[in-house]
Order: sequence, then structure tokens, then C-alpha cells
Amino acid sequence: MDTETLIRALARDEGPTPRSQIAARIALALGVGLGFGLLALSATLGFRPDLGTAMWAVAAKALFAAVIGTAGLGAAMHLSRTLARTRAALPLLIMGGASLLIAAIALASEMPEHRWAAWTGNGFPWCVVLIPVFSIPTALGLVWALRDGAPTRLTLAGAAIGALSGSVGTIVYAGFCPVDSIAFVTTWYVAGIALSAAVGALAGRWLLRW
Amino acid sequence: MAVTGDDQRLRKLMLAGIAGDSQAQTELLSALAVRLRSYFRNRGMTPSDGEDLVQETLIAVHTKRSMYDPAQPLLAWVHAIARYRLIDRYRREKKRGVQVPVEDWSEALAGEAPEAGDPARDVARLLDQLPDKQRRSIELVKLQEKSVAEAASLTGWSQSDIKVSIHRGMKLLQRLVSDRAPHSQEGLV
Repeated sequence: MDTETLIRALARDEGPTPRSQIAARIALALGVGLGFGLLALSATLGFRPDLGTAMWAVAAKALFAAVIGTAGLGAAMHLSRTLARTRAALPLLIMGGASLLIAAIALASEMPEHRWAAWTGNGFPWCVVLIPVFSIPTALGLVWALRDGAPTRLTLAGAAIGALSGSVGTIVYAGFCPVDSIAFVTTWYVAGIALSAAVGALAGRWLLRW
Repeated sequence: MAVTGDDQRLRKLMLAGIAGDSQAQTELLSALAVRLRSYFRNRGMTPSDGEDLVQETLIAVHTKRSMYDPAQPLLAWVHAIARYRLIDRYRREKKRGVQVPVEDWSEALAGEAPEAGDPARDVARLLDQLPDKQRRSIELVKLQEKSVAEAASLTGWSQSDIKVSIHRGMKLLQRLVSDRAPHSQEGLV
């Protein structure tokens, strides 16, 4: 087919172009991803047994994740477009840095003999691994959403949806995580989200091609 | 960034095309084809590979136009897509370490017109890979130039059915275009 024919075929009789559905797709991916994440959590690790009395702690941790998620959402929305700017990812970095600063302040205000327990929750911080796991349903949905867009910075867009799905995974994981110390949450939750973002950056190059 | 008068004119065509003016869309895509041809030619593409990339980019510009933000300079947007298609081509051909320089888009897409080459691969052949309904709708309306109403009465499908099939088919076609194997390897697969 020569290019003239292609152009005529493309331009012919399509009527007005519908508005981009990408925002709706991202919203759907977040809702469904959160739902499947919670289902997966209750089917595997289960919610923490003292969920009733620890409600406020769980809510605070989920809120912390949601705040990081808003930065991830902004970055993902922006990077779904052609001509996206690198600085769209900046709020995520700032929030990550601020979290570590909060962790340092929280640790400094602990009695020295309690610091280790406050930081690590007396064990290996499994959330670093589990947060990415519970973010998988959201990540798959976001890949579906962004393939409908026109991203051209695939690595960065992958990192953004990794961070966003990591935030959703963190909200899910907060329903299980028995450790409520500020330093723990601001260090290891952020590390879990960062790991999600790193996996997203590596996978984005392949999964987001169009 | 310097927004030239040319950019303004093409941007108006783009917005008219998005609003459903197919005359404006034709004019826009034709004007872009000329610029894209010299863009890819200047980056070492053979005439036939260059023409492939021109077609790929035009299909991408057309199917992704709902993602165009009217606040963006149009030529910059098209240049970013052309550059992406070029990088994607290198990636598919597994040429590692190829650098595609970031240039000023107003210069990159400004060149004068070389002759059109024959595309190395035929978009029409990709149509065969679409589901029947989508393929038939696209053939009738896009290639045989029937109106949506005519296509509807020929097939017995409703007009909105036809429109949806075309829309879905075009998106799928875009994906097929970017997934197809490089020409040089086609015989080996």
C-alpha cells in the first residue's frame, strides 16, 4: 500500500476522535488492583488478628502509602504521554528522601537500646519483598492502561507505574504488617515501593512498547 | 521553544482532524509524510525502510491522536513519535548501542521533500491478521471508500458496530505494525 492510499484510508470517515480513556483505565486498574491485592492477602497471610484495635495504626500506614501513591499517580499520568518530562518523577524522589529523613529523626528520638527493634521490627523486614508481590495485580492493570497511551520514555514510565502499584501493594500489606514503628514504616515500606519501581523500570522497556 | 507559523497551521489541522474533519486530517498527514520522509532519510534509512517508518509513524500519529495535548507544539509531538519509532526499529533489529541524537525538532522536521520510496512491507497485508468483522469494516470504509451507512447495509451490522470495529481494528493494526518482524528476517521465521 503506498503512503497516499494509507493516508486516505486513515483519514476517512471516522468521525470525531473519542477522548482518551487513559485516566479511566488507570482508575480502573487501581481499583481492581487494590481489590485483588486485598483478596490475595486474605487468602495467604491474612489480616493481622488485632485489626480492630490497631485500626488507626493500619489507617495511618495506608495513608502514608497513599500520599506516596499520589506522587506515583502524577508521574504515571504524565509519563503516559509523548513528550513527557523527566522531572515528572521528581516528587517521588522527594517523598522517598523525606521518608528516610523522618526515619532518621524517629530513630534519633528513640532510646538507644530500642533503636534496633524500632528500625527492623526485630527481624528481617519482609515487607520489602512482600510489597512488590502484592502490587502485582495493580502493576498488570497499569501496564494495560499505559499501553493505550503513547509513552516514549518507557523505562521511566515503567518506574512510575512500579512506584504507583508499589503504593497500592503497601496499602494492602498494611492490613497484615504487625510493626507500627514510624522508623520501620518510613524506611522499609519506602524500600518496598522503591523495589517495585526498580522492577517496573526494567520491565517497562518491554511491556510498555507500542 | 520556537513555535513556528507552520506549527500553528498543522496544529489547527490536527485539532480539526480530531474533531472529525477528514479533509484536514488528510492534509495534516500528507504534510507530515513529506517531513517524516526526509527525517528518516537523513538518519541513514534506505528509501524503502524509510517509507515503512513514515507509514508506521503516520499510523501512530493517527491512532494516538487522542493523547495529543493541544498545549504541546505539534511538530515536537510528531518528532518525539518519529524518534520513538526509529529507536523501536533499532531495538527490534537488535542493533545495540545505536544513538539517536536528541535534536531540535523544528530543524529535524524541517527538511525539503525527497521522493517517496516503496514501503518494504505492506500494511494491507497486515489487515489479514485482524478479526473478520474488523477487517471487513476497515476494507469497506477505509479502502473501498464506502460510507459507514453503506457498509452497514452491505454487512447487516449496525452503523455503531461498524464504527467500533474500525476503531478497534485501527488500534490492533497499530500494534501489529510495531510488532512485525524486521523485513530482513521475515524469511527466517
